[in-house]
Amino acid sequence: MADLVWASMGELARLVASKAASPVEIVKAHLDRIAALDGTLRSYITVMGDSAREAARAAEASVMAREQLGPLHGVPIGLKDLYCTKGVKTTGGSRLLGDWVPAEDATVVTRLAAAGAITLGKLNMHEFAYGPEGLNAHYGDAWNPWDRSIHRICGGSSSGSGAAVAAGLCPGALGSDTGGSIRIPSALCGLTGIKPTYGRVSRAGVLPLAWSLDHVGPMCRSAADCALMLGAMAGHDPRDPSSSRSPVPDYAAALTGQVKGLRIGLLRRAFLETADAPQRQAVEQAVKTLEGLGASVRDVSLEQMKHAAAVVAALISVESYAYHEAWLKTRGAEYGPDVRERLLVGAFVSGADYLRGQRARRLIRDEMDQVLGGVDVLIAPTVPIAATTVGAREAVVNGAPQPVRPSLLRYTRPFNASGHPAASVPCGFTPDGLPIGMQIVGRSFDEATVLRVADAYQRVTDWHARRPPLGA
Amino acid sequence: MAATASPPPITRDTLAALARAQGLTLSEADLDGLLPLVQATRALLDELAAAPLGDVEPTALYHMR
Repeated sequence: MADLVWASMGELARLVASKAASPVEIVKAHLDRIAALDGTLRSYITVMGDSAREAARAAEASVMAREQLGPLHGVPIGLKDLYCTKGVKTTGGSRLLGDWVPAEDATVVTRLAAAGAITLGKLNMHEFAYGPEGLNAHYGDAWNPWDRSIHRICGGSSSGSGAAVAAGLCPGALGSDTGGSIRIPSALCGLTGIKPTYGRVSRAGVLPLAWSLDHVGPMCRSAADCALMLGAMAGHDPRDPSSSRSPVPDYAAALTGQVKGLRIGLLRRAFLETADAPQRQAVEQAVKTLEGLGASVRDVSLEQMKHAAAVVAALISVESYAYHEAWLKTRGAEYGPDVRERLLVGAFVSGADYLRGQRARRLIRDEMDQVLGGVDVLIAPTVPIAATTVGAREAVVNGAPQPVRPSLLRYTRPFNASGHPAASVPCGFTPDGLPIGMQIVGRSFDEATVLRVADAYQRVTDWHARRPPLGA
Repeated sequence: MAATASPPPITRDTLAALARAQGLTLSEADLDGLLPLVQATRALLDELAAAPLGDVEPTALYHMR
């Protein structure tokens, strides 16, 4: 059974289709592992054991009846607990929605189910997705599986998704990313995750943090699995007015393993140069690996990046306050203290400040489009630090103390402001054995190239295949 | 058009008055905790006054394609 929880999503789908493994035993293996480990890891808020077993039996019957199978038929997944699930409570990681049961599924949940995926449960997260550490005062702080002895953050806000996939409690999960919430936990938990282009994947039925910055995407153990999941999710949705009508390519077919002739722009200034030594060295080595595969590399810089923190602050504060205003006035005591405080800040940001942020955002986006006109992808570290201990407010970076929260967000949020697709892939470990992530950024709606680069790298390295020290 | 000059730093009293005007009921402890966050955010946003915005229009929320 141990092999089933470490198999890739693609392998599981092939095992099911060839009748080499039953969805029933695959789901059972994951539910057993959740029961054994999640008391400590706290990655799930709700485990949907009964419905998962029922769906697995139905999936098995479909196989036996030789019905046409979807690309994820019989493959288990986890959902960050801000995706609406019909008949199953959706908390947003908050006590305010502790008993809320949506009447409809989010569009992506419907699409993944149509592809044959089986939902194991709803995953822990920073309350209402407002925090890059991934902590939760109501449902417990998820435990990073890469350190058994010290309680370290998983990164957030999709912390439960990070812990669950890394620990073999599901092979793939949905995260969401407003300032880095897919890529940060992917980096700190040793996963591959992709924030697609804004508009590529429907946000309908997803609890918002900030409408104009929120992105929906997968977190898996390989780029190939991300391609599989993204292919099942992407595409226009009439329920989401921001979703694009751009055609969705076959992401799995794009994974050729080839990067010969690919032009890489290395973000050295303000990114690589400011990362801690292990992160810097790991990304430099990864770029050399890609060079060895035939890619060319040159340094590029993003001058407008200096506005990213202010742009995201203007947008996220006002949009999140607008969504939460009524609750803050009537049920404020039910929020965790840190999230309530941050949400209230938006009450004191003016409309002019908000629109100045939306205007400066265009500078960031236009410059990235321009830079990406000369290279095919950008590469940078995902975060400058490794997973800190829970509660730590500072981390030492190159010998100097730095505040944890802005450090976690520094390299990821510019691409929320710009909307460009960005992935994080494992590229090494710190001397303490903690994962390091490399960020790959592509042109708008060119997730295929981002995933192709990530997959080519993973074909010649094994960072993504290593397992945390949890036993079997 | 150039951005207007930065407003004076927000004080605890100003914060309390602004909160009341918006119908927010904040305790003394709330105000103490919130003030440095609001001050830091406003200082950050002031940086955008130096951005070369010129005729740049706000980014549209919705794709028109």
